[in-house]
Amino acid sequence: MHDGRFDPSGFYEFNLTAGMVRTRTGERVVILGEDVLCSLVAAAARDGDLTPLRRLGELLGEQVHGGLDRPASVLSPEAVLGHVSAVISLFGWGRLTFERWGPALVIALRDKPELDEDELGAAALLGGMFSEISQRQVSCVPTGDSKFIMVDFEVAETVWGWFKDGADLPAIVGMLEAKRAS
Amino acid sequence: MSNREDRLRSLLDKVRAKRPDERTTRAADALDRIRTASGTTAAVQVSSSPPARVPSSPLPEPPTSPTIDSPTRYSSQPPEVERPLSVEPRARIRPSSGAPAVGSQPASASQSRRPESIRPQSVAPTGQPVVYATDQPEFPRPKTFGDLLELTLSLRPR
Repeated sequence: MHDGRFDPSGFYEFNLTAGMVRTRTGERVVILGEDVLCSLVAAAARDGDLTPLRRLGELLGEQVHGGLDRPASVLSPEAVLGHVSAVISLFGWGRLTFERWGPALVIALRDKPELDEDELGAAALLGGMFSEISQRQVSCVPTGDSKFIMVDFEVAETVWGWFKDGADLPAIVGMLEAKRAS
Repeated sequence: MSNREDRLRSLLDKVRAKRPDERTTRAADALDRIRTASGTTAAVQVSSSPPARVPSSPLPEPPTSPTIDSPTRYSSQPPEVERPLSVEPRARIRPSSGAPAVGSQPASASQSRRPESIRPQSVAPTGQPVVYATDQPEFPRPKTFGDLLELTLSLRPR
């Protein structure tokens, strides 16, 4: 696909006759007010079921996939970041950047809708999106300051516990070590 | 003639008396700059002290490995040229009359000026040579998103 950069032209198709908005991959989307979305997500977070947010993230991941000419795994981090941040922006979810803290990949999502206090809604969204992009089950665990550390879903609960116990991002990274799967 | 010799000797004594301090200060400045300079060298900071705000319980033991203080940030635009991880000039070590001499160009020094070598005994009060390490950080920059993903997904609690 062209030079590998994200092309936002024609991303949405507005069908006024049918009363529908679709993305260029054919996915129907509905535009919601931020306060409405926040209420829905807050309720879902209270109930402990953020599956719809994760599913939405997967849909965003599919949009990213649709714009890539090769699997994300063989592209440079910068190229993947370009596509991911563009899709996130087009859906109004804020400014996404990558940070690398030692061996850990950290997603920063600024200016996002303030969904819930613990940022679990955004975590579910990012987890779904990057699982779809990487074709692996990943989790993005909130670590404060709109940052989310990407880890294997098996250790997500442990990392979340550390953060809830007061560990900041450098401390969390310090308590992790890279281990190759045997 | 003797007056001239006296003046020269006096000047020489002044230079001898002054230089070690100057060099020590300059070397310390250069070391500080290397530690605090912008770029990857500073972005991936490593310290051996345990995290400050980690509660003692129920978290595991404080890590013995380095902790990270600030991140390496990515831009969505790929770099035109593969940039080196360090922006500071690499320290040069060359042997000189049995003892190593350590040369380093301070970060603020003019690019056109040649780095002057500093004798180790004039840098460190202990007589040990001081080496300005600008080695690559412990974690090399992954080339692909897949490499980055592998690294972060391999993380497990210590």
